[in-house]
Amino acid sequence: MSEAATHALEHHEPVTSTGIPNKKILMWTFLGSDCMFFGTLISTHLIYRKISGTVNGTPLDIRNIFDIELTSFSTFILLASSLFMALAVSAIHKGNLKSTRWMLLGTIVFGTIFLACQVYEFTHFVYHEGHELTLSTYQGEPHVFGSTFYVLTGTHGTHVAIGVFWLLGWLVYSFTGRMSTADAMDIECCGLYWHFVDIVWIIIFPVVYLMEYAF
Amino acid sequence: MSGHAEDPVLEESKRFFTFFNLSMILVAITGIEIVIIYVETFEGSAIISVLFATSILKFVGVVWWFMHLRWDKILNTILFLLGLGIALGTFFAVIYMADTHPVIEEDGFSVTPLDNKWETGKDYVKGDYVLQGESYYKANFDHKAPASFTEQVDSGEGLEIPWSEVTGVPHLFKWKISHGDSVEINSLDPGNQFFHQYEPAEEENIEGSKVSLLKKAASTEDFRIKVRSEAYLTVWPEETNQ
Repeated sequence: MSEAATHALEHHEPVTSTGIPNKKILMWTFLGSDCMFFGTLISTHLIYRKISGTVNGTPLDIRNIFDIELTSFSTFILLASSLFMALAVSAIHKGNLKSTRWMLLGTIVFGTIFLACQVYEFTHFVYHEGHELTLSTYQGEPHVFGSTFYVLTGTHGTHVAIGVFWLLGWLVYSFTGRMSTADAMDIECCGLYWHFVDIVWIIIFPVVYLMEYAF
Repeated sequence: MSGHAEDPVLEESKRFFTFFNLSMILVAITGIEIVIIYVETFEGSAIISVLFATSILKFVGVVWWFMHLRWDKILNTILFLLGLGIALGTFFAVIYMADTHPVIEEDGFSVTPLDNKWETGKDYVKGDYVLQGESYYKANFDHKAPASFTEQVDSGEGLEIPWSEVTGVPHLFKWKISHGDSVEINSLDPGNQFFHQYEPAEEENIEGSKVSLLKKAASTEDFRIKVRSEAYLTVWPEETNQ
């Protein structure tokens, strides 16, 4: 590692009296508040799943439309993207611009694959013959499952999409020649956001998908 | 958690292996989750516990290492845990609000001594109780009752008297409850002990019954039934602080 890079590592962001850079403390505060946001969405889904467990008097068996292999693949992809993101943050801290660029690209590609899987999944659910799941119906009968499911997973998907655009911005910026280790804190904040999106999915996958197969 | 190390470049290089290993562990845990579901290794409630535990492991792994909390100042951890704590609080509050007290319906719990008289020609299964004279008897094996109570019948291993006298009084316990996760019945008489607890398969409109041998004759008032839902506990008759 070059001396310049080492010096750059010691580059200090404006810090609060706590010794933590402003941007970082802002991001952690935002993530704390986003926890509450997803907490309410997950709670709502679970409660309505419990109290509206039937369609026309028969138990709601959502496994008819779930494709657990696809969702497991999406989960693997998102977990892998977190590794790329962590390595991108590590690379920019070390001043390795080339590696940062590749790792950012890897994260973007994997994030996009995750989104593509979600788009396919939603389309498949809405048009699944005989078991259509829309925002307000299941198998053509009014039911609340679609509302809570699409709002929860859709909100998560929106977070992923925002993350992909954010990373895309950094990737484009890296080609302008202006990116340096001075940007490490910004990319670290972006990474924090991306990992948060990952941990939200870590909760959603078993709670919303796998739990349906437990009974 | 006291800030970055003295040589941050070397530190970042070391972290590469940490991140890679963690990533492999996360993928392995996800694989285990899927296998557990497919193989149906455990019962429903146990599966949920296992999924809950594996999710926490993955959650902590990502937050602690990928999100650098391990190396950051503790204030970041506090800020995040604050939001997480409120989210969990919201979850339990919503569960509490959505739940209602389980209701034991009128005459929905009864305990009565069995008074099944022995009848000739009737089919009995192993474990059935009958009242013959002043005593209770228990069926030793499945059989069709012959002409007289003391007549031997074929048990499959030869001719035998199908009944054995028991000490005590068999009772029929019956309950009918609106909803709940767990039902518990216990005797209020220390000299006539009884305890039964089970988790109903269906959590709504629970109906159940059980025949159990007690030391002496008892009535419904000699027992207490407790029904738990996710947030509430219904007890009948109500417990008094004596």
